[in-house]
Amino acid sequence: MRPQRQPRLTILLLAGLLAACQQAPAPAPPPPSTTQNGYGTTERAFVELAIATDEQALKLLELTDRTELKENRAVELTELRKLLDAPYVNQHAGHDMPGMPTDAEIQLAATSPDAREQFVRTHLTESLEVVRSAAAAITHPPTAEVVRLMERHRTAELAAG
Amino acid sequence: MRKHLFHIAAVIGLIAAAFNVPVAAQGEPVRVAEFLAECPISHRLADDPIVLPNLAGASHFHDFFGNHSTNARSTQQSLEGQTGNCNPAADISSYWVPTLYRNNTAIAPTGVTFYYLGEGVNNPAAIQPTPYGLKIVAGNAKATGDADSIARWSCLHAGHVNPSKNFVTCPAGTMLETYLDFPQCWDGRNLDSADHKSHMSYPVAGGCPSSHPVSVPKLRMVLRYPVNGSTAGLRLASGTGQTMHGDFFNVWPRAEMERRVRNCLNVVIKCDHNGNHG
Repeated sequence: MRPQRQPRLTILLLAGLLAACQQAPAPAPPPPSTTQNGYGTTERAFVELAIATDEQALKLLELTDRTELKENRAVELTELRKLLDAPYVNQHAGHDMPGMPTDAEIQLAATSPDAREQFVRTHLTESLEVVRSAAAAITHPPTAEVVRLMERHRTAELAAG
Repeated sequence: MRKHLFHIAAVIGLIAAAFNVPVAAQGEPVRVAEFLAECPISHRLADDPIVLPNLAGASHFHDFFGNHSTNARSTQQSLEGQTGNCNPAADISSYWVPTLYRNNTAIAPTGVTFYYLGEGVNNPAAIQPTPYGLKIVAGNAKATGDADSIARWSCLHAGHVNPSKNFVTCPAGTMLETYLDFPQCWDGRNLDSADHKSHMSYPVAGGCPSSHPVSVPKLRMVLRYPVNGSTAGLRLASGTGQTMHGDFFNVWPRAEMERRVRNCLNVVIKCDHNGNHG
């Protein structure tokens, strides 16, 4: 680097002026992932996911005579919808989510009893894993209560075969 | 608009020349505002720290690039200070996309490039560094067809195959590739939003709208998959090719990002991995 020269100083001044003109406001700190024991981003994400999963599961279960499972999913959906703090939007339609039967699987289950049994079991085992993950992450008491209900349901349903 | 852009570039070039500031070593500098990071696949998880924060194993599968530590619990604080696999190593940002499958076999992309561009806005000199900690989701994971999709699939080394919003059949010896452009206008306040989208917007007529006035680098993701031939059995973890989406969690060290925006984008110059030119 050569010693400082006038033009270089001018450039620096110009650059400083430009930077000052273009200064963006400082970003707000990231919102906390959950407010203190409140209904935060993790709770909202879980509730939306659980509604999408249970709705797809009900379509699959409609093809079976598992009355208790159908009732349990319906009860869960009622409780989950009570937790929503904004109109429900299905963020996961068409996705290959753990525990969520896909439309293709439901279609196959309609004609194949073996596939039906397998998909019901996969729904139970995988969604139990998701619910257990939620149990470890969710602090909002009313949401945590629904999570515990879902865990009880799935554990009993798997035990019943 | 191109003329306008050229004009600005020319004026900057003239000022630089007048003050004997090296713009490029010799001859014409490449007039593309660009820097880049290449980040191969790092790991694969059923996690999504933006859409399903803290819910480990609750997502469809994603291929993660860059920061090695990314998982459902990742935050700005957890990511910083970690290492990644990008070239340049300075970029420890997190990037992820839904996993691609042929039937039930996952296929990892073998070429993964993140371009940071000054295009899309008429005034690249006004581009600000991407805010530290910014989260952006691009594309529509819920797309039900072409109309609500911005996905783009094409073939590397087979330009005659028309691009499509869904998978395309690439000739033998070529590769399936996908492009995704992230929104480049920021609301100036929020690093994320409830729908993970509304704090960002695409430019309108070459400028950032008043609702999202801060111009930031345009992130363009280009993925190349070792796939050609029939599209039968191809799917993303999120569904059809139209559901291609990408997530970006910016943890570029501030000084590295600022230097590149200043030296590459603001002055419309193509830079290398290290943010240098000519």
